[in-house]
Amino acid sequence: MFNALLGDARLYLRLVAMQIRAQLRYKANLLIDIITYFLITGLEFAAVMLLFGPFPSILGWHIGEVAFLYATTSISFGLAELFGAGIDAFDITIRRGEFDRVLLRPISAFVQVIGSDFRLRRFGRLTEGLMAFGIALKLLPGMTWTPLKLVLLPVGIVSGAVVFTAILLLGATMCFWTVETTELTNILTYGGREMLSYPFSIYNQNLQRFFLFVVPLAFCSYIPVCYLLGRDMPFGLPGGIAFAAPLVALFFALASGAIWRIGVNHYQSTGS
Amino acid sequence: MLRFYFEVARTAFRRQLIYRWANIAGLLTNVFWGIIISYVMIALFHARHQVGGFDVRDTLSYVWVVQAMIMIVLPFGWYDLMLTIRSGEVVTDLSKPCDFWWYWFSREIGRDCYYLLYRGIPTYTAGALLFGFGLSGDWRNWLVYMVCLPLGAILGIACRFLYNIVAFWIVEARATAVMVGTIALFFTGSYIPLPFLPPWLHTIAIWSPFNGLLNVPAEAFLGKLTGGSLLLEILRQVGWIIVLVIVARAVTAIAARRVEVQGG
Repeated sequence: MFNALLGDARLYLRLVAMQIRAQLRYKANLLIDIITYFLITGLEFAAVMLLFGPFPSILGWHIGEVAFLYATTSISFGLAELFGAGIDAFDITIRRGEFDRVLLRPISAFVQVIGSDFRLRRFGRLTEGLMAFGIALKLLPGMTWTPLKLVLLPVGIVSGAVVFTAILLLGATMCFWTVETTELTNILTYGGREMLSYPFSIYNQNLQRFFLFVVPLAFCSYIPVCYLLGRDMPFGLPGGIAFAAPLVALFFALASGAIWRIGVNHYQSTGS
Repeated sequence: MLRFYFEVARTAFRRQLIYRWANIAGLLTNVFWGIIISYVMIALFHARHQVGGFDVRDTLSYVWVVQAMIMIVLPFGWYDLMLTIRSGEVVTDLSKPCDFWWYWFSREIGRDCYYLLYRGIPTYTAGALLFGFGLSGDWRNWLVYMVCLPLGAILGIACRFLYNIVAFWIVEARATAVMVGTIALFFTGSYIPLPFLPPWLHTIAIWSPFNGLLNVPAEAFLGKLTGGSLLLEILRQVGWIIVLVIVARAVTAIAARRVEVQGG
C-alpha cells in the first residue's frame, strides 16, 4: 500500500511538472494573468483595510489583527486554488465525458484529477497573501513569537488549505449526480474565504457552529490565528485546541475522500 | 424598427427564464454574500454609530440593495459579446440590418428586466427579512430610485459593451475584462460603501463612471440624495452614459471596418 502511495505521489509530481511546462510556454500571458489576479485580490485586501479608516475596530479586533487573519486565510485559500485547480474544473471533465477515460487507466482517479491542472496564475493570490502578511506584521509591532507559535503558523495555514481542497473535492463529487451545483461549492470556498477574513466572533452563533464543527474552515484558520494573536477561543474552548487543527483537517479530508470514493464507485457515465 | 428591438429584449428575457437552477444558485450566492457583509457592518458599527451620515440600518439597506442590483447593472463575468467575437459570430451580427449597439442594448435590457424581477427583488427581500431593515416609506425616494436605477442599468450596459469589445484587438481580453469588472465593482460601492472611503478616494470614485452604476441608485434608494446633490448625480450618470455610448459606437464602427475573422 505504501508503494502505491509513493507511486501516486511520483505520478502527481510528474503531472504537475507537465502542467507547469505547458503554462510556461505562454510566458507573457501567464505574467499578465498573475499580475491581474494579484491586483484583483489586492483590491479586496485594500477594501478590508479601508474599512478601518472610519471605524477604529471590528468587535475589538484592530487593523493589524484583521490583516493577519485576512493574510493567513488568503494564503491557505491560494494554496488550495493552486493545487485544487483540477478538482475545480471537474464539472467540465464530467460534462465532456472525459471521466470515463480517467477510470479506464490503472491509476488512482483522484491523482489524475488533481494532477490535471496546476494553475500557475493562482500565484497571484499567493503573492498577495504574502504581501498582506508582511503588512500585517508591520501593523503588529507588539507581536511575540514563541517556538510553538512558529510551528503553528505553517501548520495552521496548511490545515486551512487542506480543508479548502476537501471542500472542492466534495463539490466535485456532487458533479457525479448533477452538474448544476458548482455555484454552491463556490459559496463555501469563496464565501468561506470572505467569511474567514473577518473575526469569526462577529457572526451568528449557528453560522459559527457550522463552520467550526461541520465544515471546519474556521477551526483551521480562525482558531490558530486566535492562538497566535493571544485571543480567546470561540465558545470558551481551551487555547491549546489550536494544535488540533491539523487533525481536524485530516479527518475532514478523509471524510471528503470517502464520499469521493462512493461517488466514483456509483458513477454512471452520461455517454459520449 | 422599434418593434424589432422590443422583440429582441423580450427574447432575451424569455431565454433567462430557462436557467432556473442557475438563478437560484446565484441568488443563494448573493444572499450569502449579503449576510457576511451585514455581520461585518454590524460589528463595525459597535465602535462608532454614524459614518458619513449613515447609521447601521442605512448601511445594511445600502449593502443589500447593492447586492440586489449587481446582477442587473454589473454582472461579473459577462462575456457574451466577447465570445461572439472569439467565435466569429460577430460578423453575422454586424451584417444584420439593425444597429449593432442598439441590438446588444435591447438584449441586455431584456436580461436586466429578468434579473430585476427574479434576482433583485428576492435578494433584497431576503436581506430585509433576515436583518429587519425594511423599506423606505417615503414615496419620493422610490420616485428618485425609479429614475436612478434605469440610468445605472443603461450605464452598466455601456460599460460591459466596452470592456467586451476590446476583444477585437486583444486576444486574451478576458483578463482585462475581469480587471475592469473588479475595478468597477470597487468604485461603485460593492466592496466598501462609497460613503466610507477616505475623502480623496471618495472624490475619485464619485467622478468615475462607476459611481453611477450602483452607488447612485443605492444612495437614492436610501433618500440620501436630495435637491442639488440629486441633480448633480443624475447629470453625472447621464453625462457618462452619453460619453460611453459615443465611444462604444465609435469603437464599433472602427472594429467593423477592420475586423479580421479567425476561422470559419
